[in-house]
Amino acid sequence: MLQQRSSTPIEILRYALIVVILTASLFPIAWLIITSFKPADDIMVSPPRFIFTPTLDNYTYALHKANFMHFIQNTLYVAVVSTVFVIVLSSLASYSFARYNPGGGNILFFILTTKMFPAIAVVLPYFLIFKEIGDTAVGKALGIGLDRPGALIVSYTMFNLPFAIWLMVSFFQDIPRELEDSARLDGYNRLQVLWRVVLPLAAPGIAVTAIFCLLFSWNEFLFAYILTRDAARTITVGVESFFTLRGILWGPVAAAATISVAPMLVFVLILQRYMVRGLTFGAVRG
Amino acid sequence: MRRKMLSIIAMLILFSVLAACTTPTQAPAPTQAPAAVQPTQPPAAGGCKDSDRVPISWSTIAGFYTDAMTSIIKDFESKNCVKVTIVGIDNAQLYDKQIIEAVGKTGAYDVYNIETAEKAGFAENGYILPMDDYIKANADKVQYDDIAPILADVTTKYKGKTWGLPYYTYTQGQFYRADLFEDATEMAAFKTKFGYDLKPPTTWDQMKDVAQFFTRKKGEMLKGKPLDKDFYGIGLMAGRFQEIQDELSGMILSKGTDWLKDDGTIAVKDDGNLWALKFYVEKLLPYAPPAALTVTYDGVMNQMQDCQIAMTANFFLDQWPNAANTEKKCPGAKMAIGVGIEKTTYIGAFLMGVSSSSKHPKEAMDFVAYMGGKEAQTKFASLGGSTTRISVLKDPQFNTPESRTKTAQFAFLLQVFDNMKTKKSNLFYSPYGAKLYNAMGPIYHTAAAKEKTPEQALQTLYDEFVKICGGPKCAVNK
Amino acid sequence: METAAIKNPGPVQARRTMSDTWYSILLIAPAMIIILFFALVPLFYAIDVSFRQADLTMGGIQGFVGLRNYRTVLHEPYFWQSVGTTVVFTFFAIVIEMGLGIFVAFLIHGATVGKGLIRSLVILPLATAPSVTGLFWRYLYDTQFGLYNYFLSVLGLPWQPNWLGDIKLGLWSVIIFDVWLWMPFVALIVLAGLQSLPKEPFEAAELDGASNFRVLRTLTFPMLTPVLMLVFVLRTIDCLRLYDSVATLTRGGPGSVTETVTYFLYRQGLVFFRMDYASTMALLFMYAVILASGYALRPLLARLAMRAGQR
Repeated sequence: MLQQRSSTPIEILRYALIVVILTASLFPIAWLIITSFKPADDIMVSPPRFIFTPTLDNYTYALHKANFMHFIQNTLYVAVVSTVFVIVLSSLASYSFARYNPGGGNILFFILTTKMFPAIAVVLPYFLIFKEIGDTAVGKALGIGLDRPGALIVSYTMFNLPFAIWLMVSFFQDIPRELEDSARLDGYNRLQVLWRVVLPLAAPGIAVTAIFCLLFSWNEFLFAYILTRDAARTITVGVESFFTLRGILWGPVAAAATISVAPMLVFVLILQRYMVRGLTFGAVRG
Repeated sequence: MRRKMLSIIAMLILFSVLAACTTPTQAPAPTQAPAAVQPTQPPAAGGCKDSDRVPISWSTIAGFYTDAMTSIIKDFESKNCVKVTIVGIDNAQLYDKQIIEAVGKTGAYDVYNIETAEKAGFAENGYILPMDDYIKANADKVQYDDIAPILADVTTKYKGKTWGLPYYTYTQGQFYRADLFEDATEMAAFKTKFGYDLKPPTTWDQMKDVAQFFTRKKGEMLKGKPLDKDFYGIGLMAGRFQEIQDELSGMILSKGTDWLKDDGTIAVKDDGNLWALKFYVEKLLPYAPPAALTVTYDGVMNQMQDCQIAMTANFFLDQWPNAANTEKKCPGAKMAIGVGIEKTTYIGAFLMGVSSSSKHPKEAMDFVAYMGGKEAQTKFASLGGSTTRISVLKDPQFNTPESRTKTAQFAFLLQVFDNMKTKKSNLFYSPYGAKLYNAMGPIYHTAAAKEKTPEQALQTLYDEFVKICGGPKCAVNK
Repeated sequence: METAAIKNPGPVQARRTMSDTWYSILLIAPAMIIILFFALVPLFYAIDVSFRQADLTMGGIQGFVGLRNYRTVLHEPYFWQSVGTTVVFTFFAIVIEMGLGIFVAFLIHGATVGKGLIRSLVILPLATAPSVTGLFWRYLYDTQFGLYNYFLSVLGLPWQPNWLGDIKLGLWSVIIFDVWLWMPFVALIVLAGLQSLPKEPFEAAELDGASNFRVLRTLTFPMLTPVLMLVFVLRTIDCLRLYDSVATLTRGGPGSVTETVTYFLYRQGLVFFRMDYASTMALLFMYAVILASGYALRPLLARLAMRAGQR
């Protein structure tokens, strides 16, 4: 809305700044990717070596040594399913908080307080809970229990819910109530209003929330490491197979990290398109 | 808008369904146990179907071991109707992960990988089973006496019982750049400066002299050539890790003291302990690279390989293959091994102990006996592992010029075991050992980082010990 | 499980006359069930353990000891030191992340070309696992092998900081890492907030010939306040709980200058297995944050209630 008045020098300055910030922010990742193509003896050298013979050895090693594809599958499964749960549950809940505010703010505050309890203190009780659930028929049927993906899905859903609900409440509140009212007058029932009017309008907020939930679950370490062993291990814990007694194998670690960033990049590229600007009112009705 | 919204959801569901279909562990069948995933199936032992195999899971440190162990385990599986899963865990997290599973009595790991200081605690709490009866019944197979006696005592004995077998030793010696000590210019310069001949140090004062002597700035000469980067006399593991304690260990023991006296009295503030920390911080650390404050052993090996340091302090001999790699990476370097300053170093090994929650203790013990036994240890040694068995350490095939870059440390390990045969720290026989050990690293490090004086740090350490043991004495049960 | 959660809450459709109250409760019910169970069980567990002797590797969870654990923790100098570290860290990290994040959001918001790509690239630091990037930054910060000191020397600067080994610098090195990691989070949410602002008021202001600065001050920022407050609150809570960066980057060092409350708690709970101390600290931490945030959040909650109540 402001850029219409921007003149060319300002545009140049803007892009110059963007380039500077992107460079600062991306070069550690670029260096990580470069490292993933380095032969082992070219990594820990001073001064840092920029010219080397690239090799794919690290990728071969990473993919073959550590059940890597298996970890990726686990991670993808856990991250995507928990994100779907979080988005569904939190859209409903935050719409309710945004419009009706049940509990007069107290419930909403309570939800946030669950984020204030340090995860480290939660992880052992979770271990015990999932140990118990895992022995029951329900736990077995749903795949919830120690070293089963269900345990991580439930945990991540739990962690991301407060964040997602709080984030989305403000996005839902930005949606003009008149749109809903007129939709109701047009004969939509409450759920149709929610589904056809509110959710589409909240898409930017939902997209942002989904991106973050996905990233958090994808990269979570503490719970993945305590609650899984081998079968349900995720990639962040799997990478640790390269922290060996002969030192950190930086080549394979960098290769593994590069591979595990790729799916996230794809997700982000897809989802960020929904963060479109300029919701033109009225155009969405009907 | 609506379409886009729907397509997001559709996509997410699609992905989750895809993931569900491709995830082997997500089979909804309630009867299916979490399957052990191992890419290759070993050939069936005589008449043993894969479905009959008893599953055994071994939690251990990932990487080199697991690579070497995979092939050894295949040998084991070909002789026993057992399926072994190795669970590789980062060294920094191995202890807590194992304790959590042990406290939860999950039986998830049948065999634990136990550090020397942790053994007494595992035994005292009943997390592992004693193996005396098994060893007695299978004396021929186990050949317990073949394990270096001091190592066997320190790593497997507690309250008169034997708690498993050690399979990998990281006992300390010392590494140095032999080419520097043999250089005529350097020898002459050293003689002029210190009044005695340049040689690999055998006392702490000599170590300080050598470290000081070789510490030079970029542009100064080393071996008659100008340096293209700063060079340091010694590499130290002074970062906030446990290993700073291992480095101080030999210094403390060489002064005839210990962290705990024989009756368990906490001695961390006594003269020998104070001397060690002061000497370390004031006399050695100034000649180490600034990165010393942030690294542990792998960092020191990186510095060595990158021609940054002349020698290590007392250092884990199992790292020899790493140290030997210096000759490849650093032009002109020639590496050599020593038995440690004042012939006093840290002794330790990883113990394989059978979990008391294991559902298959018999098979687990078979596995431990095999891995610690001579056949597996010989193969392990040939792949570069630091073995615990005398007969393998003495095996001529590991003392040839061809095997030098992998196993030259073996001859020195034998000497170290001999030098240390009567010196064993009481720390390893205290059920609080693991906690005391874990408490020491960060506190010693505060002195190295100059956040605290050595005296303050030792006072803090003393208080911490009192808190852990509940008084001025920590139980010691030999 | 999946289908049940996605399915529309059926009864609502059936009874069109359902009151707002019931409808609102029904909408939050599924989320609340999960939150209540998985938040309250560990909480009660922690409260219980905080009044007991509980050393998991020495006798396990034992009898009640009254307020002993609270006394011990409150007299522990390292605990208070870690509280101080956490507060200092949070203050500087939040100021920088918020300032930089808002600035970057406006930069991107005004961009005309390549916005999608920029948005995707900005978020990349968050897409890499902190358990790897933390370690990787240890490598970048290394005085000999690291890139930062190499660049400094290439630029001809004599300054060769020991990022992670100097007790005066250690906390700042963690702050820089945290800003690198989390600035995109602030930027992206603020950007999403900017993009969902209604257009009309701005068009009107433009017709009135209001200056850019005035539009910012009187329109953009006031309308963004809820989002900004929200990001501020979420980031503050996360900074106070800082664990990952410290665990991988410094492990609390150099000395103990980066030992935050949660890292100290980790050492008590998962290294020494003193669940009694760990639970006590966690609860004290939570009470403190709840008290502080109760005040900080009051305006936000009031505003929310007001907007929800417009009917």
